[in-house]
Amino acid sequence: MMAGVMIGICSLTILDSVGESTKRETMKRFKNMLGTFDTVIIRPGSGKTRGMVSLTNVPPTLKFEDAAAIAAELPEVKQVALLQNAFDIDVKYKDKNVSPAIFGVSANWLDLRGDELAEGNIISEEDIGSLARVAILGSDVLPLLFPEGDALGKTIRIGDVPFQVKGVLAQRGAGPGGGSLDNLILIPVTTASKRLFNRDFLTMVIAQLRDPEKSEAAVSKITALLRQRHHIAVSALDDFTMTSPQAVMAQVREMGSALSTILKGIATIAMLIGGAVIMSLMLISVSERRKEIGLRRSVGANRQDILLQFILEAALVSSIGGLVGIALGLGGTNLVARLEHLPPVLSLQALESAAGLSVGLGLLFGIYPAWKAAHVDPVKALGT
Amino acid sequence: MIEVTNLGKTYRRGDGTPVAALKAVSFQIDKGEFVTIRGPSGSGKSSMLNIVGCLDRPTSGTYRLNGEELSGYSDKQLSHVRARKIGFVFQSFHLMPRTTALENVEIPMVYGPGRVDRKRALAGLERVGLGGRAHHYGTELSGGEQQRVAIARALINDPPLILADEPTGNLDSAAGAEVMAILRQLHREGRTVVLVTHDDAVAAYAEREILFRDGVLASDRKIAVLLGE
Ligand SMILES: Nc1ncnc2c1ncn2[C@@H]1O[C@H](COP(=O)(O)OP(=O)(O)O)[C@@H](O)[C@H]1O
Ligand SMILES: [Mg+2]
Repeated sequence: MMAGVMIGICSLTILDSVGESTKRETMKRFKNMLGTFDTVIIRPGSGKTRGMVSLTNVPPTLKFEDAAAIAAELPEVKQVALLQNAFDIDVKYKDKNVSPAIFGVSANWLDLRGDELAEGNIISEEDIGSLARVAILGSDVLPLLFPEGDALGKTIRIGDVPFQVKGVLAQRGAGPGGGSLDNLILIPVTTASKRLFNRDFLTMVIAQLRDPEKSEAAVSKITALLRQRHHIAVSALDDFTMTSPQAVMAQVREMGSALSTILKGIATIAMLIGGAVIMSLMLISVSERRKEIGLRRSVGANRQDILLQFILEAALVSSIGGLVGIALGLGGTNLVARLEHLPPVLSLQALESAAGLSVGLGLLFGIYPAWKAAHVDPVKALGT
Repeated sequence: MIEVTNLGKTYRRGDGTPVAALKAVSFQIDKGEFVTIRGPSGSGKSSMLNIVGCLDRPTSGTYRLNGEELSGYSDKQLSHVRARKIGFVFQSFHLMPRTTALENVEIPMVYGPGRVDRKRALAGLERVGLGGRAHHYGTELSGGEQQRVAIARALINDPPLILADEPTGNLDSAAGAEVMAILRQLHREGRTVVLVTHDDAVAAYAEREILFRDGVLASDRKIAVLLGE
């Protein structure tokens, strides 16, 4: 009769722990991709563009001037960071050759993204103003071009233009899709625009808000401003897309809680089945042990003694089942974690509720059989 | 000690028809007596013994034990009486499966006045000559040995009243004689022994015989103790 409880508790533990682990990991990855939470991301196009956006696959509608206007005209916006990026550009150092993403960024990019340098210096306002040919290497790029790690001050060639390595980024890890976010090189956005890509439009603008609580108002202000600047008719759709990390996180959180509600529902059903199994097996046990009950009654046990004995037995059996279930659940959690490349999270809450539940189940579903046991007629049971 | 007055017991069959197992039975048994209850099968002997043992309640009449009228007693109170005053010995032993002789003897201690005491349980087994069998399971013992374990169990809370319902019914005559010797010893110690039996040889140990027929007390007489020292 332990099996039912075991299965219920086991699934509960796995579901709870894995659910928790998945939620945390998803949050982390989204945060990795989106940066800090007081920002709104603006992209050109109506949002249909899939995959990594770059200069080659977006409409040329979001201009430097738009970004400047957002920063200058809207008091809700503290500052804007700019991005102009491209892929498939060869980067060389001596005989080494790679083609990471090239990110032309404003000086405040790293700050807004919440990224850090492993060594060297960030792109400065002077670099931006002077169209400096300086580069910051992503942590995936560094070992490919400089196996020795001695990149600072060296001159690399990005699409035949020489750039001096000014810094190296700390590792960022994986994005929501699991891919690396470190295979890139940062250069000043002005340099990118005028010396490398020769384009006057951007692939992304990140607007940092003064008050992240009022992101909705800010989003509608930005929308209004951009529609006016782009002369979009009232009936026409936006030619840009905005994403607020807060909204995304809220969605993720909502999905997470919907998921755990479903998982909890499944676990509850498993537990109820486990409970029903306990109850029916206890009832069988009671009818098999009628002689024992009769004998105990004949030597002085009262109904309450018998009731207590059977309830405690149910709770004991159920908690042994629960312990095995927890053990299996932990094993299962680790297995799932390894298969899904998630960090194994031992959810203490899951363990507590599993332990409590198994004892509780035993008590709850043991009551009726125990009541039956207490009301066995000792005379009939002993068959005298 | 035992005072039964106009006692009746009516069972209800599954279909609701009443079965009068005992009809207005009256008798008294004094402390220290050795009484047999005899009579044909179905005459109400076991019904009587179960009521005397507080395991069942009469449907009419009164039952006094040591002067106390028990009809108003709750389950808890009756159980309390059983635990302290009464030792049952059954025809089919009722040793618990997968339980050693010693553990069987310990069971009543759980419900009795004292604590569970392994040493005392072992002493109880030694008393019935089974000290060496303490750690054997019931299935490893002969019928006579099993019944002696059951007697040790009935005695462990030191009850003054021993109720034995055909204790030798499942035993051969040698084992039966051993069991009877123990019961007689208990009687000599001053305990009251009430014994239900079919067997003339067994009945010969008693001083008094109550005869039931169709739920009625047919006769109640003193008998000569045929089996002396
Ligand atoms: N639980 C019961 N339900 C219905 N009838 C019973 C029950 N117990 C005993 N009887 C009936 O009561 C009568 C007396 O039974 P019992 O006391 O066991 O007699 P004895 O022990 O002398 O053989 C019998 O007719 C028996 O069938
Ligand atoms: Mg009988």
